[in-house]
Amino acid sequence: MSDILKQKLWGIITRNSSGTEAEWLLQKSTSSPLELMTAFVAAPRFLAKKIIHTSEEERFGLSSEIAGFSVEGWSLVRLGRVWLLTQLDSSDRNEYVKNIETLFDTAEMNELVALYSALPVLSYPDQWLFKATDAVRSNMGFVFDAIALHNPYPEQYFSELAWNQLVLKTIFNDKPIHFIEGLDNRSNEKLAVTLSDFAHERWAAGRTVPAQVWRLVGKFMNNALLADMQHLFQSANENDRKAAALACKEANLASANYLLAKYTDLEKSVRSGEITWASLEP
Amino acid sequence: MCLNHNDTSPNPSHFEDSEEVNTTPAHRDIEWKDYKDLIKGMRFFDPHIHMVSRTTDDYQAMHQAGIVALIEPAFWVGQPRTGLSSFKDYYSSLVGWERFRSAQFGIKHYCTMGLNSREANNEPLAEQVMEILPLYVYKEGVVGVGEIGFDDQTPAEEKYYRLQLELAKDAKLPVQIHTPHRDKKKGTERSMAIALEHGIDPSWVIVDHNNEETVKSVLDQGFWAAFTIYPFTKMGNERMVKVVEQYGPERIMVNSAADWGISDPLAIPKTAALMKMRGISDETIRLVTYQNAIDAFGKSGQIDVSDFESGFSIDQTEKFQGNSILRGGQQPAPTKDSLVIQ
Repeated sequence: MSDILKQKLWGIITRNSSGTEAEWLLQKSTSSPLELMTAFVAAPRFLAKKIIHTSEEERFGLSSEIAGFSVEGWSLVRLGRVWLLTQLDSSDRNEYVKNIETLFDTAEMNELVALYSALPVLSYPDQWLFKATDAVRSNMGFVFDAIALHNPYPEQYFSELAWNQLVLKTIFNDKPIHFIEGLDNRSNEKLAVTLSDFAHERWAAGRTVPAQVWRLVGKFMNNALLADMQHLFQSANENDRKAAALACKEANLASANYLLAKYTDLEKSVRSGEITWASLEP
Repeated sequence: MCLNHNDTSPNPSHFEDSEEVNTTPAHRDIEWKDYKDLIKGMRFFDPHIHMVSRTTDDYQAMHQAGIVALIEPAFWVGQPRTGLSSFKDYYSSLVGWERFRSAQFGIKHYCTMGLNSREANNEPLAEQVMEILPLYVYKEGVVGVGEIGFDDQTPAEEKYYRLQLELAKDAKLPVQIHTPHRDKKKGTERSMAIALEHGIDPSWVIVDHNNEETVKSVLDQGFWAAFTIYPFTKMGNERMVKVVEQYGPERIMVNSAADWGISDPLAIPKTAALMKMRGISDETIRLVTYQNAIDAFGKSGQIDVSDFESGFSIDQTEKFQGNSILRGGQQPAPTKDSLVIQ
């Protein structure tokens, strides 16, 4: 990773910590790998319970280094831990990988969150792919969130299969998909089709699907999905009807246009931009 | 382990082989409907309970009865572990999955980390465990080194007990001592003497599983005295009331040590109710069922009472940074009397 990014992270740390806290981190960052790893573990004993809020400039600074990377809303401990990891000597790949894996293998919940948050800034990024998919399998909400939401790693490294699992599991867990980095870039036909099956299962169980998930289907509209749109247009939930209108607008399918044209008011609202997917985000 | 439910002999547990003979009723069980009003508004802290062995029903009942936080000591799992990975996964579960599971039921979960005395006897494995223990004792929410001490009182047990006392000193953590079931009195004295020999301040040591025979010496020497309300094999709650009447609340705490034996995760609220019935003051009850445990283990610097004192995420669907911590499809606290499963 770039030195500029390390410096930018350090800048945010110094603006959000006391002199003693920053000094402790600095001292640990230059110690032996084992001591640095112990500092990663012991960080909550030396850093305050505090939430980081970044300025617009800081957010831009980070995302210009790694698109989609953000530390907004992190705790100081999480940020301190991630920064410590950026200071771990990575010159010997085997040694570095062994050290990071030891931290993974012995991690408690908040350490796992920090480790998964750090994936975009670790060296040898392809090395962590399996760990990353393991986090998607996690039933610990915070751990799942650390890989799935506001994390640019999956967009860049996940296979289509792994990516689709991540998105589906986010929906399944009733979490907001618009927090997934790269949601539009990585949309694909398989995901759109699976989503339809998923919605049918939910409807059969008398349950619902959050309206915004239909943002994943527009470009891949086919006759089966169009039937779902018809179902949504009939929904008592206004957001479902809006979602159907937006998805039909984005479709390259003549019959989707005909369907949308039946709902004049909705068509007007989506074409004018009065209704967007953002208006359906919870 | 095979349990014969027609057999009324003492339950098998990590408290097996008790030498105590019950002459007068030492314990009585109380039904929720008969004591819920007595403990209304009370909060409890269980400083010794093994939640990995308990069900979601237990978590719900504990939450309902006012238990807001607990400590899960590392112990043996009923059979010997065969390798380091089993230890690693167990320790990780105490700070990972179990901590998360507990939070889902509105109970703040802490733990103590240590190599238990039984498995200290497997020296080649114990050696490896000691190497990874430091990675765990410094973790957030680890409030002590425990439960450690003696079982058979072998030289190997003594060796690893001493090593872990040093670890506790380095990490500035309290020590939670498991006292042996057989030859308890001598084992307890020996555990305390060794702790003092290592220069550990007794106010940093919680001596667990006391009874009427051990308590005086433990308190006289300045240690904390914990009592395990474990039906049949350990203290009964009727006896516990008498101990509190005799010694008062100072440096005394009650726990359930509920595990995979026939034990009771509601031992603390039930004992509190019994104390209330016997006319013990609310303040004394608060000290022995809540505050003293916080004061003792709080020396770790890892307990922030604001995390649980005014109720800890009682609402399971509480949003964390906009995200539910519930798994999809999981119902918040399903109603047990309802026939319909949605």
